[in-house]
Amino acid sequence: MLSYNSSVIYPGARIGIELPVKTIYLTKTSRSGKERDFTKDRFVTTNLSWYHHPAFHDNLYFTAGWTMRRTKAKGFFTEFSPELGLSRTFLGGTTYQVDNNGKVTVKKLAGYYYALASVGGGIGYDYSKTKQKPFLIFSKFNVLMMFPYNSTVYLRPAIEIGFIYKPANFISLKVKSRHLKE
Amino acid sequence: MKSLITIAFMLFVLVSCQKETITYGTNVSDTFYLDNNGASMRLLVEGNTSSKTFLIIVHGGPGTSSFLYKTDYISQNIENKYAVVYWDQRNAGASQGNSNGDQLNLPQMTEDLKKVIQLIKHRYGDDSGIFILGHSFGGLLTASFMTTGNNQSLVKGWIFADGSHNYPLNDTLTREMLLIVGQKQIDLKRNVSQWNVIIDYCNAHTGNFTFEESSQLESYAADAETYFHKVKKINLASLIQTDPIKYDWPVTSILVNQLYSSNASFNRDLAKTEFSSVLYRVTSPTLLLCGKYDFICPSGLDEDILKRINTTDKKLAISPISGHDIMYQDESFICDEVNAFIEKHK
Repeated sequence: MLSYNSSVIYPGARIGIELPVKTIYLTKTSRSGKERDFTKDRFVTTNLSWYHHPAFHDNLYFTAGWTMRRTKAKGFFTEFSPELGLSRTFLGGTTYQVDNNGKVTVKKLAGYYYALASVGGGIGYDYSKTKQKPFLIFSKFNVLMMFPYNSTVYLRPAIEIGFIYKPANFISLKVKSRHLKE
Repeated sequence: MKSLITIAFMLFVLVSCQKETITYGTNVSDTFYLDNNGASMRLLVEGNTSSKTFLIIVHGGPGTSSFLYKTDYISQNIENKYAVVYWDQRNAGASQGNSNGDQLNLPQMTEDLKKVIQLIKHRYGDDSGIFILGHSFGGLLTASFMTTGNNQSLVKGWIFADGSHNYPLNDTLTREMLLIVGQKQIDLKRNVSQWNVIIDYCNAHTGNFTFEESSQLESYAADAETYFHKVKKINLASLIQTDPIKYDWPVTSILVNQLYSSNASFNRDLAKTEFSSVLYRVTSPTLLLCGKYDFICPSGLDEDILKRINTTDKKLAISPISGHDIMYQDESFICDEVNAFIEKHK
């Protein structure tokens, strides 16, 4: 998975892997008797993300998460994904320290480690459903929570636009699959 | 391959952002950070660094950001002559850190201010002339700075704008002003119902104020100035007129820091803090600026400073149209006074 990871107006990038762990093929019958097929996929994900906020900080963060995706037969999908991880910020300017004698030194790679939690929801299209192409495109809105940030919690919205490539034989896992009819 | 390019680009950005850049010119914008005892505090230097004269804005709050003080008017009327240093205090604005709430106290912030000045002199030269301007809570912080050790030798002048140096006295003066002005307004049949609520509260709470009473008085004081048409109303829309996108405001950081600092336990300690008794130590030139309609920090506070400081080089100027936010409500007044003061003492 590769995406443009903008914190609304500031640039960033995100790269990750999602491992399928469960697939449920679901058929729903409406009152009129019409049948509609869905797929519910569950993935374990790992991501490395970064955004750049000038004069504030750059944030590099690694997360692991759980993605729940629901795909219609025509390929459109919605998804929700909570993630947990670790963030390392790099301050957006030269950082100095002044000792009690007034001596000034530059602090290299100044920044902070934070615990990070993220929740996100998005929409997308899976080209493998109708066009047999091995990729998906998506857009997602995430809210990042970093702590302890000045003894409180820092919140940051982020918008992601990207694609997911699904190689046929990337990592073969035993995916539990079920067929359900409602 | 794409991944490698992305990672290489990220590393390049990370390294280049922290490269030391010191700019001399008439239209400078330098951002850097001071790391001190658990907090990395943002400093934005804007304007004319070639002048070698620096005005450090010590914002209010606690927890209000210096981003809010950077207006177009100040850019065009002060930054063109001198450099203005917008300092985000610890746990405010774009300042960052981990679990540093224990270090959020007045002595620590006083030390931070001293180090900010030492850092400015290190970057721009020891011959740089420094002036400090404290607004609201920044008045208390600058009063602490000016009366501690030999700190005042680091600055050429102290500017006190709608500030407070004595919170218990502040509460007393706010209550008195609310009672006197409120009664006059009722007699004039203006905002009678609102003033009656305020006067009833003031009559029921007469002194030795608790923290909660102090907070309520401040809340009524903030409301009071809005009852006068000549005082420009300050709201969120007017505060963000400086364009958060253009100036890269970290909006959520500003908000969470303000929320944390304004509710931090050290505010209870501040409520008992006063510097009137040590103001005799101040021998530096001092400019006191106040809004006539400032109920939050009434002009009686400035008069207290005026009579106690140990210098003849002092001036009190009152804006006839301003409330508590003089830098928005009477921009030409504050810029003219500040420029004249700096020009005289630089």
